[in-house]
Amino acid sequence: MTSLILTRNILQRILGDVRTLALIVVLPLFFILLYGSSFSGSYSDLPVFVVNEDNGLASVPTAELGRITLAVNLGAAFVEALDRDVLNVSLLDDPEAAQALVGGRAWAAVILPKSFSNAVVNEAVRAGGERRIDFEGDRLTLIPSEAADGPTATLIIDDSNPLLAQKLYQTLNAAFARVLESQQSSLTVGALLDVRRLYDGRIRMLDFTAPGIIGFAMTLITVMLTALSIVRERTGGTLTRILIAPVSAWQITLGYTLAFSAIAVFQTAELFLASTFLFGIQLAGNPGVVALIIVLFAIGLQGIGTLISTLSRNEAQAMQFVLFLVIPSIMLSGVFWPQETMPTAIRSLSYVIPLTYANSALRKVMLTGSGFAELASELSALAAIALVAVSLSVISMRRQGHTA
Amino acid sequence: MTSAEQVVHAQGLRKRFGQHTALDGLSLMIKQGQLFGLAGPNGAGKTTLIRTLCGLLRPDEGEAYLLGWRMPSARVRSQLGYMPQESAVYDDLSVLRNLEFFASLYGLRRHQIRARAEELLDLVDLRDRTRQRVGTLSGGMRRRVSLAISLLHRPRLAFLDEPTAGVDPKLRRTFWDYFNRLADSDVTLLVTTHLVEEALRCHLVGFLMAGRLLTQGTPDEILAQTATTNLDDAFIALQERGEAKS
Repeated sequence: MTSLILTRNILQRILGDVRTLALIVVLPLFFILLYGSSFSGSYSDLPVFVVNEDNGLASVPTAELGRITLAVNLGAAFVEALDRDVLNVSLLDDPEAAQALVGGRAWAAVILPKSFSNAVVNEAVRAGGERRIDFEGDRLTLIPSEAADGPTATLIIDDSNPLLAQKLYQTLNAAFARVLESQQSSLTVGALLDVRRLYDGRIRMLDFTAPGIIGFAMTLITVMLTALSIVRERTGGTLTRILIAPVSAWQITLGYTLAFSAIAVFQTAELFLASTFLFGIQLAGNPGVVALIIVLFAIGLQGIGTLISTLSRNEAQAMQFVLFLVIPSIMLSGVFWPQETMPTAIRSLSYVIPLTYANSALRKVMLTGSGFAELASELSALAAIALVAVSLSVISMRRQGHTA
Repeated sequence: MTSAEQVVHAQGLRKRFGQHTALDGLSLMIKQGQLFGLAGPNGAGKTTLIRTLCGLLRPDEGEAYLLGWRMPSARVRSQLGYMPQESAVYDDLSVLRNLEFFASLYGLRRHQIRARAEELLDLVDLRDRTRQRVGTLSGGMRRRVSLAISLLHRPRLAFLDEPTAGVDPKLRRTFWDYFNRLADSDVTLLVTTHLVEEALRCHLVGFLMAGRLLTQGTPDEILAQTATTNLDDAFIALQERGEAKS
């Protein structure tokens, strides 16, 4: 009975607080809606370059007429067979240029040489043995050639994202398989392709997710610590004392920024050391670049923590607001599943989430060794978020009762 | 700007929270070196008035000048002392560290802080608790730490919100003696209290009810005005008149 009295008291207090009640009702829905709409599981818009130099002709020995030339146009057939729902295909002329763009503007490049059709048909005949075809009114037998038929296709793939690389490989493989089917070949695609992985497959799933997990841990800890500390200062009255002292809102904000950013940087250093020494997570790039990303990210996060503290009457509310930030961060920032799998509307939401940029920047520097130049867009975004968050913190600090 | 002698000058202050009117066109004037006692029942608007005067709340109507500056103004902050109704101290810090932190916000140097801390800890009778964590002190002791913090930087104008709440009678007397000494040295004080008899120690007394100042004057003037012999009866009479009017 006493327990029920306690239960009733708790529920009455929650029901009486409209903001907490709203958070309780909305948060689970928010969570599941976000999950359902962000994790579609289907990829789209993966940029891929194709250089189709294929002349479309195959020179094949026959039992009856010696070598004949078939117009099969398999390069065009391959391009036609590419799944446009998944891939965003751009055709280029220069194989070297296409190759250079992989890892930057494209996830993969496929180079079909002049002899592509020739090589495929001859490989198919070699693998499947003699085959009879109709050719200009005659019934001919194609026989395996012994001579090399020139290079087959080259696939250059950015394997810094193992999930995406796997999906790309499957999709491109399917297009090649369609081409082979057209030649009634039992040949496997693997035999046809010269696959070059940018990182030689040395990036494990653990390495791939580590930067995002580090960023996520930072988001959770920094925002929560900042928001709860400031709410506690306000409810305890010490913030009022600080606000009434001859200290400007900028000075107060800077004080908080330095303290909480320093804690965040320390915690991240701890995370990095543990992940490197305990789990062998790789750091291919410059630790100085990592430090800059972390500092900018931490400043933005503590600014967001300050804003959350303004919106919260008490620590319980602050915790729920933190969840409103943390849940989209983990779901939409590309930590676990690539943004390429998200519907466009949801994907655009991810562009306002700091972890999106921190994750992308940390991945680039940790996995591929990128420097400042390659990280310009992520660093600019993190700096902009930090600036906006700190400026809003100053305004919110004034709103908390400052008279500056 | 108003005359510098008028340390507090408020005109027509009005402040609403939703449907509730906390300040209802309140005007107030306190001169330099005056000890002004603000009494009134719970919810009368005493804390709202102090927070509005300090610039922590913006009035919906009216204006306030402190030390000649229209509030809110950053210029007067170094000369203001404010003791909020809640303890407003860091429980996880020692008594001395609390004093040091807040004093340093006012630009006091280490040796100045030490000297002032000793003086004020003597006043609030906590000299033997200097190194103790504030969280381990009783509620009354924490209020005393709070008072020491508010006066540490020698403010010219101090707003003390119920500084004697939870304090034993002997120490309460010490506090009021100290407030009078501060006033003698030209510090202006606005002190709220719900112990009406304490207001006898003030130069001027104001009685606040429902956001309005029902009366203000010296204790003798108020006794004469209400034809009573003590302030308790005077305030009950004023309260009844106020209720009758509203």
